[in-house]
Parts: sequence; structure tokens; C-alpha cells
Amino acid sequence: MRLYGWFLLMIFSLHAVAVDVVVNRGVPGTSLAQASARALFGMRLTKWPDGRPVQIFVLPDGHPVHAAMCKEQLNIYPYQLRQAWDRLVYSGLAQAPIEVSTEEEMISRVATTPGALGYVRKVKPNDPVKVFYVE
Amino acid sequence: MLNRVALFLACALALSTAEAIELGDGVQAHGFLSQSLVYTSGNRVGGNSDDGLAIDMREIGGNLSWRPNADWLLSGQVLARWAGESDGGDLRLDYGFIDRTLLADGDTSVGLRLGKIKNPYGFYNTTRDVAHTRPGIIMPQSIYMDRARNFWLAAPGVSLYGNHENPGGNLSWQVSALQPEVDDPDLTYFMTGKNFGRFAGEHSWLGQAMLETVGGRWRAGLSLGQMAMQYRPGAGDDLEPGDTRLPTWVLSVEHNMEFWSLTAEYGQTKVLSRNYGATPHAISIEQDNTTEAWYVQATRRMGNGWQGFLRYDVFYFDKKDRDGTSFAASSAYTLPARMRFAKDWSFGVRRDVGRWAWSGEWHHVDGTAWLSPTDTPTRASVRKWDLLLLQGAWYF
Repeated sequence: MRLYGWFLLMIFSLHAVAVDVVVNRGVPGTSLAQASARALFGMRLTKWPDGRPVQIFVLPDGHPVHAAMCKEQLNIYPYQLRQAWDRLVYSGLAQAPIEVSTEEEMISRVATTPGALGYVRKVKPNDPVKVFYVE
Repeated sequence: MLNRVALFLACALALSTAEAIELGDGVQAHGFLSQSLVYTSGNRVGGNSDDGLAIDMREIGGNLSWRPNADWLLSGQVLARWAGESDGGDLRLDYGFIDRTLLADGDTSVGLRLGKIKNPYGFYNTTRDVAHTRPGIIMPQSIYMDRARNFWLAAPGVSLYGNHENPGGNLSWQVSALQPEVDDPDLTYFMTGKNFGRFAGEHSWLGQAMLETVGGRWRAGLSLGQMAMQYRPGAGDDLEPGDTRLPTWVLSVEHNMEFWSLTAEYGQTKVLSRNYGATPHAISIEQDNTTEAWYVQATRRMGNGWQGFLRYDVFYFDKKDRDGTSFAASSAYTLPARMRFAKDWSFGVRRDVGRWAWSGEWHHVDGTAWLSPTDTPTRASVRKWDLLLLQGAWYF
């Protein structure tokens, strides 16, 4: 019985994604390779595969959903993302992601910005954004 | 003087709630500033630090970037830096260039930059004047020596770059053809031991390749290049218009864990000088030597915005004469051996609160190789000395 419980827990943990990566509904596709997601959030990649520009939205560094997204979806520590942005932004090689302060603002900015990519804890059924699966 | 510092900090505080400014239509603005307090037990860093607390170390800068579409980027940054006698706060263009993406094919991108570009040299050179991006209040001086900063700082040129993503990590690279901006009294001192003439940059090149494993757990890079310059003698100079080439390389390795980062960099630079004339001074300059520089640093993140580091940083002007004794014995001006090396133990703490970074660090240094003679005249220097730095830095 206990073993069964552990097994369930393991299955649950493997599939438990506390954070949804979301995109503007105009972005084609349904999923993203993790390497591409890291490159996009790391501001190293500025285009979607169809050539359209990407606009990244993030929550503040200390936000729990930001930390969860970094670890669960990108497999990176938040401090590494901050260091990578600073290296690019203060040497002029790339622009910074746009920081929003709440998840509500994240949903509304992603919904209204073409090519937008962001994340929230859990998308609600009538949120006007599309969930992307990071593989 | 104190009034100026107070005004500077008051402006900073007034701005302290700002975030990166989006100006619409793909335009962004960012800025940063820092103010440091310096105390030394002997020798001078950043002003009169041996008589008490020096308050003349500060930086302020701002940048604008415009991305009109996914393929073009225009970026520029200006900054002013105060650091003792060697940097007096003149506003300068830190970088300003145009960037064109030539190829963006899924996970591979290649592009071209044209203009004044920050030189990729080791992990930290490109943002060395932005306090919160440094691995401490001052850079590890072996690799990023402030006396010689203009060799590597930024230069007009053209640069081809690329980035390749794959499931195992990513590779980024850059190759630049450039003309270093070496007209700087500190650099003239550094190269000739005097300050009569000046240097002018010649055609040079610099490349860097950086490999990262998944999520940047391991980062490893090689920076490789050759800087070239010509000497323009000044009035009363005993040197002729010589040429100097500096072939150089730096190997950089970093391991990032949740609470720890371990960083090490090792580099060598050959100093090859010709045609400086036949005086004893010229002959001493034309003696080829290879510098050796390395440091190891452990950084520990402790939560709640706190972090601390321990670093050991070593520089030798001549790897075949590490203690400087041959140099001192043969020097045309009876210069001391201690100016040919520096071994620096340092530890520091930092607390990040929002967009502020508050830091303190202590150095115990054996040797004076990276001291600027414009601040500390060589013969007045002491071999073993301590350095205490405190800094407040803010950025948006």
C-alpha cells in the first residue's frame, strides 16, 4: 500500500507542473523545446520559428512563480537568468525582458502583445492566452 | 566634495523605485550608478586612501537600445567613472553600435555588429564598469587589471557572432576586428614605466567562444586575440616610435550550483615590443616577456539577498621572473621587484535589496603590480598592504 502511495506520488511529481508557460494566441504551435525556451527567456533568441519577433514578459526576480518557472520549465536558477540578462543588457547585445508585477498583468500583457511569451501559476479556462508545453 | 557625494546619492535615492524604462516602439533605457569608500593601509587606490577614507570612486551610466524589428538592434551607452588620478569622471561613449541578425534558423543565429563594441575578454570584461554585474567591488585585477583596462575595454570595429542551442547546452562565439583605444596615461605608464608619450591603436583582433551545459551549470570559455599599438614619443622622450603587439588568451571556467558558484580564469599575454630605439630604457622595454594571471573565486548565496565570496588572485608581469628579482637587478631605473607581481586574498559580502546592491570587501595584497603609478608613485609604494572597500550600487 505504502509502495503504491510512493508510486502515485512519483507519477504525480513527474507531471506536476505548477507553472504554465503562456504565449499570445497569434503564436503558432503548441509546444517548445526546453533548449529553445531557455534561449528565448535568456534573450539569446529574438524570433519565433516563423520569423516573427518574440516579446518576453517576466515577473520580478523574487516572485515565487518566477523561481518556480526557472527551475521547473527551464532547469536554471533565477540568479543565472539575471546574470545572463545583465551581461547582455549592459553591453548592448540584447534588450531586457519586460517586467510585470502581477500574474494578472502578465495575462493581459501577453494577451495583447503580438509574439508575447510569459508564464503564470495556472491558466484559468477563460484567460485569453495559449498554454505552451515545454518539452 | 562631501556635498557632491551627498547630491549624487540623493539623486540615486530619488530614482530608486524606477525599473527598466520601456519607451515604446522597441526602445528601452537602463542606467546604473555606484559610490565606493576606500581605505588602504598603505599605497593609494581611488584617491587619497592612505590618509583616510577616499570617496572619489564612483560610476554613473545609462544606455538606450532600439529594436525596430527582430533583425536590427541599435545600442549605445555613455558613462562617467571616477577612480583616483587615473579616471576623472569624463563622460565617454562606452559602446555604440548597430547589430544585424543575418541568420536566425530555429536554434542557430548569426549576426554582425558594427561600431564601438565592448570587447569579449573573459567572463566579465564587457560589463566591467557596471557595479552590480562584477564579481566583487573591484574586478579580479589579475585578468581585469584596471591599469591596463584600455587594452580590452571597448573598441571601434566590426564583429561577427553566433549562437547555437541544442538539448545539451549552447555555444556562443564572437570574432572582432578592432582598433584598441589605448591613448591613456595609465597605459603609457604600464608599458613604458613613464608618462611622456602616448599609444595609438593599430589593427587588432579578438575572439571568444563560450560553451554552456544545460541551464549554465558549467560554463567554459576561451578568449583569444592580439592587440597591436604604436608608440608616439612625447617631448624629451628617450623612446622612438616603437610597435607593441600583445598576443593574449584567457581560459574561463565556472560551475554554478543553487547556493554556490565556483569561478576560475587563467590568462597569459605576451608583450612583444620593437623599434623603441637604443637607449637602456628602450632596450628594457624590448625585452619580451609573458604575463601570467589567474584567480579562483567561490561565491556563496545565503538567501534573503545575501551573498559572500572568497577569492585568490595572482598576477605576474613575467612568468619567468615571478618574484621580480631579475627585473629589479637589471632595471635601468633601479625599480623595485614588488611592482612585478601581486598576490591578493580577498573576501566580501553583498546584500541585494530590490535594485540596490550593498557590498563590503577586504583585500590583503602582497605586491603592487596592479597599482596605478599615477596614484601611488612606484618608489613610495609598500609591498604588503590591505584594502577595504564599501560600495552602494543601484541599477535599473
